[in-house]
Amino acid sequence: MNWHKALSLFLWITPHALLGVLAVVLCRRRLYREFPVFFAYVLYEIAEFILLFTLYSVQGVTGRMYAYAYCATLLLSIALRFGVIDEVSKDLFRESRFLKLSARRSLQIVTGLLLVTGILFAVYAPGDNSAKWYAGVFVVNRGAAMVQCGLLLALLLFSRFLGLSWRRSAFGIALGLGVLTSGDLAMFALRAEFTSVAGAEFLDLLITGAYLVCVSIWIGYLLAPELEPASLTVVPQDEVDTWNTELQRLLRD
Amino acid sequence: MEHGTATLAQGLIAAWALVAVAFIALGILFYVAIRSRARRVDLERTVQAFRSLDIEAFRNLVDSAEEAFLRNHLSPKKFREIKRQRAWAALLYAWEAGRAATALAKVGQAAQRSLDPKIAASGVQVTENAFRLRLQTFRVSLRLLTEVLLPGLSSRSLPSLADQYEQAAETLFRLGRSSSGVQGLVRSKSA
Repeated sequence: MNWHKALSLFLWITPHALLGVLAVVLCRRRLYREFPVFFAYVLYEIAEFILLFTLYSVQGVTGRMYAYAYCATLLLSIALRFGVIDEVSKDLFRESRFLKLSARRSLQIVTGLLLVTGILFAVYAPGDNSAKWYAGVFVVNRGAAMVQCGLLLALLLFSRFLGLSWRRSAFGIALGLGVLTSGDLAMFALRAEFTSVAGAEFLDLLITGAYLVCVSIWIGYLLAPELEPASLTVVPQDEVDTWNTELQRLLRD
Repeated sequence: MEHGTATLAQGLIAAWALVAVAFIALGILFYVAIRSRARRVDLERTVQAFRSLDIEAFRNLVDSAEEAFLRNHLSPKKFREIKRQRAWAALLYAWEAGRAATALAKVGQAAQRSLDPKIAASGVQVTENAFRLRLQTFRVSLRLLTEVLLPGLSSRSLPSLADQYEQAAETLFRLGRSSSGVQGLVRSKSA
């Protein structure tokens, strides 16, 4: 076994083994109740790995059959990621009725704009025409990664803009998915254009490497204890009065 | 042949542009992750943010009667120059009001988690008003930016930013009142 194959197998197997650990963490900390779609996504990714690894290992399976299975499972994975983003955004806006309406409307607009951009990219940069049919799947994944990455960035920037506080677990999920989708965006953009075997193998290594980073972030954030919701410090009454006086001074007509 | 080369070049440019976008996104993600670790809700800073604002001066800067007076008494060129300066000053006010609203939202969210139900309820109101104020300041900033760039355009009345500010302050007073028994606005650390 050469070093490339060994590294490929390591980067392919390790994140999925860690996903198993993540599933246990989600169960033990009962986080599956709060993030059911994310939990389903984790389980799905493990099942997908088992299926693909079996197909890869079995002698009679052709490359074409493997490619079909890979593309079909990839499309479902993309759909689940959208569900995870929706779940994280609901968690972020959970405490404000006002934001539930207005911020989600803004996010819908952002999604629309990103979709249009993704479609424009697909039309004007449709990938290597000489490539096989699955180059089209890479273009679809590239577009989806663009929308997902953009949505996660919008969520993070929106929360900073408004001063929204994330729960550690939700932030970890968003951050990990952000790393994964931005990695996917870069790699699938290149894979759609460069179809040489050596180039594809190198990019595959990077994609699986990014996935390992993503899963490590999830585990790190979900294992870490949630910070005290608010480590309240009593402020003396005179400080409250100062506060009120300042506001009255500010608002006097 | 030429068409094929052009398509190839177009594809390559698109691919590398997306790679650049992905790296920028990654940079922003890590920046936000690092910054959020050290985020604190600082009451004193919030008070300072409010102190830095003079709502009366802001009202004066966006007053349409004042603008009409200037339009009637100045040459068009001078009017545009003055209007641009006034819009820029108002923009800075709106921007600072927005930052104050963000700080207010953090205080509100911390209060929301108080064990005292009265403080928690007031915290909800403070947070909601702070969010409204923040979005309002954003809209106002966009409008004012348009005026800075195109001072010749006649401006419609600006959204009631000062009223929003007042509303936010009212709920803060309520928070102060409801907390008088247990003494507390809050100072907190958050995730």
